[in-house]
Amino acid sequence: MHKNTFRQVRLVTAWEFMHFFKWKQEVISKLIMLAIAAVVFVWQTVKDDKEPMYWIGVVSESSNIAIPNSTGPFEFEPAPGALDSLIEQLEDDALYDAIIEVKVGALGKHEVKIHSSEKTEWLITLQQTVTQYYAQLYAQQLGLQQEQLSLLSEPVLFEQSYTDDNVKEDENESSLTAIGMAFLLMAGVFTSFAQIFASITGEKQQRVTEQLYSCISAQTWIDGKIFGNLLHGLKAMLTMSISGILGYTFIRVVIAGEPLSFDFIDWSMLPWLIVFALAGLYFCTAFMAAIAAAIDDPNHSAKTSLMLLPLLPVILTMMTMGNPSGLAFTFLSYFPLTAFAAMPIKMSLIEVAIWEPLLALSLILLLCYWIRGSAGRLFKMGMIMYGKEPTLKDMVKWAFKGN
Amino acid sequence: MELVVDKVVKKYEEMIAVNELSFSVSEGEIFALLGPNGAGKSSIIRMLTGFTHADEGRISVNIDGTYHPSIPSHELGYLPEDRGLYPEKSLLKNILYFAQLNGMEKQSALSATDSWLDRFELIDRKDDPLKSLSKGNQQKVQLITAVIHQPRWVILDEPFSGLDPVNQEKVVTFLSELTAQGMSVILSAHQMAMIEKLAARILLMNKGKAVFYGKLADFRSKQEANAKISVTFVQSIAPELQSSIPDNVEHQWLKDNKLSLSISAQFTINQLLNLLPSIGEVSDIQSQQMDLHQLYLQAIEEQGASTHA
Repeated sequence: MHKNTFRQVRLVTAWEFMHFFKWKQEVISKLIMLAIAAVVFVWQTVKDDKEPMYWIGVVSESSNIAIPNSTGPFEFEPAPGALDSLIEQLEDDALYDAIIEVKVGALGKHEVKIHSSEKTEWLITLQQTVTQYYAQLYAQQLGLQQEQLSLLSEPVLFEQSYTDDNVKEDENESSLTAIGMAFLLMAGVFTSFAQIFASITGEKQQRVTEQLYSCISAQTWIDGKIFGNLLHGLKAMLTMSISGILGYTFIRVVIAGEPLSFDFIDWSMLPWLIVFALAGLYFCTAFMAAIAAAIDDPNHSAKTSLMLLPLLPVILTMMTMGNPSGLAFTFLSYFPLTAFAAMPIKMSLIEVAIWEPLLALSLILLLCYWIRGSAGRLFKMGMIMYGKEPTLKDMVKWAFKGN
Repeated sequence: MELVVDKVVKKYEEMIAVNELSFSVSEGEIFALLGPNGAGKSSIIRMLTGFTHADEGRISVNIDGTYHPSIPSHELGYLPEDRGLYPEKSLLKNILYFAQLNGMEKQSALSATDSWLDRFELIDRKDDPLKSLSKGNQQKVQLITAVIHQPRWVILDEPFSGLDPVNQEKVVTFLSELTAQGMSVILSAHQMAMIEKLAARILLMNKGKAVFYGKLADFRSKQEANAKISVTFVQSIAPELQSSIPDNVEHQWLKDNKLSLSISAQFTINQLLNLLPSIGEVSDIQSQQMDLHQLYLQAIEEQGASTHA
């Protein structure tokens, strides 16, 4: 790249980035996030300090029916009086928070009906507590020990073995890292998409393009646009990662009181994921630049629907990742339009030779180079048409051949 | 340093926007492109800037002995007809951005911006967003962005639109100063009074073709050769004498003693002077002096008539 061209690309990139980057808004949004975290912390602290107790009245058809032991926030006791009158009293915020009506049905199975004045969150916990109590009761009646009971609830310990040596035996960390990166990438793609679309169509509406084109080439302009808005996508990914890490730290350390650990991240895969994410983000931003360059009026253009196309790789990847060694997923992991999403997932699920991601990456980079040139040509031709929007046929022709 | 356009043709699908047009512009000259809407002025300008290319013919820009097919961007200052800047950004940021894109270093661009804004009495508003300015003042900012980097070629498409008469005069002065510094200016405008003050040579176009190309003074002489003459006689002229004006002369009796007629190559002023005594005693003869605007309209009408003939 010529020195002067490089300087111009740098100027357009900086202009693009700063055009939408507002320090004040960034600071305000982070302060709001901190305020939300503070509210969560205060709420949790207050909640922990004042752990509520719930009084549960038990009505049974026979005195032989066992009443659950008081446990956790629940105090169980036999409720005196008629059921109807007890239920009426629930409305008046009387002695009990809930009444459970216990019967023994066929085959000795307990049937429990819970009466409460309103639907609240703790009723689910109550249901779990009662279920657990009667499960233990049945185990005792059957003469089972605690270990035997857990054997019943979890009777099989599965271990999977594959004849395909490439399949990772334990891929939880790597797949979690890859899927996490895929979500970050989607956030980055949506951000850069929105920014570059607004930026290019906005400049066309503001009639700045012809003035710009007299100073710099269409390709320089589009390169600066792509880099500037790619930085916005990266900024979104970075701030989202930082927010996620801070949120996780806050929940784990401050709220749960556990030591900080990032065991769920596969650090060895991270460099690959970052490189694929960068290439994917560049491709998607350049693709959007090409579409926006051909749109004259965003309010009346049918081409805005093409914006959804780059989501296809992520969707196809999610649909086929169940069989990472299969033909469909193998194709997607090399096909340049989908490889940036599929190859990292494949790497997280199965062992791959080094040449595989390198080949996929090379193909993506070639595609990026081509789409960048196409976007430049589309912008130039779109501008020369002066208000007449190109057809899809024109776009394909210019994307491949130029003028 | 010279720009030569030689038999250039530009077609858009079936429509011929520019048809075998030729002209040249020299260093330090102000050259005006004139013509009605759709004449092909913008098509010519876009070829000169390199936005589009000629389908036939040749454009050659000689800069220091090197020939270019259009004006190189670093030597070009351009004010497009379809113009605009970033309305949310300040005057300073707008001008600085374009100055730097045109190769200026930040520091020299800053001092040049101050100097230009001061000159156009906008220095106090340099940090205001562009959209807060009147249309005329926005036009001044746009003009500054076009010339701040001191290009050797300046193309201004309708530089006077949106400006009040006072500011139009300022732009005239400013353009004269640019050419004094050696810049060559090609401008397209509809304000004929301004063109008359600025341009020594013009190209008048209609429907992609040249109607007139040359010195403005020659254009005036040529068109005034077709001037309208008003003759007032001492007494009313009888109808049989009124009909003594040849049929091929465009004329009209406004009153019984007042005649208006056109002078042309077929009917010269001398022929008129010879004829008048045979009609009656003349008390007054006046040539209806036309300004450039009228001459321009007349030339376009004549060209239209000859095309249809």
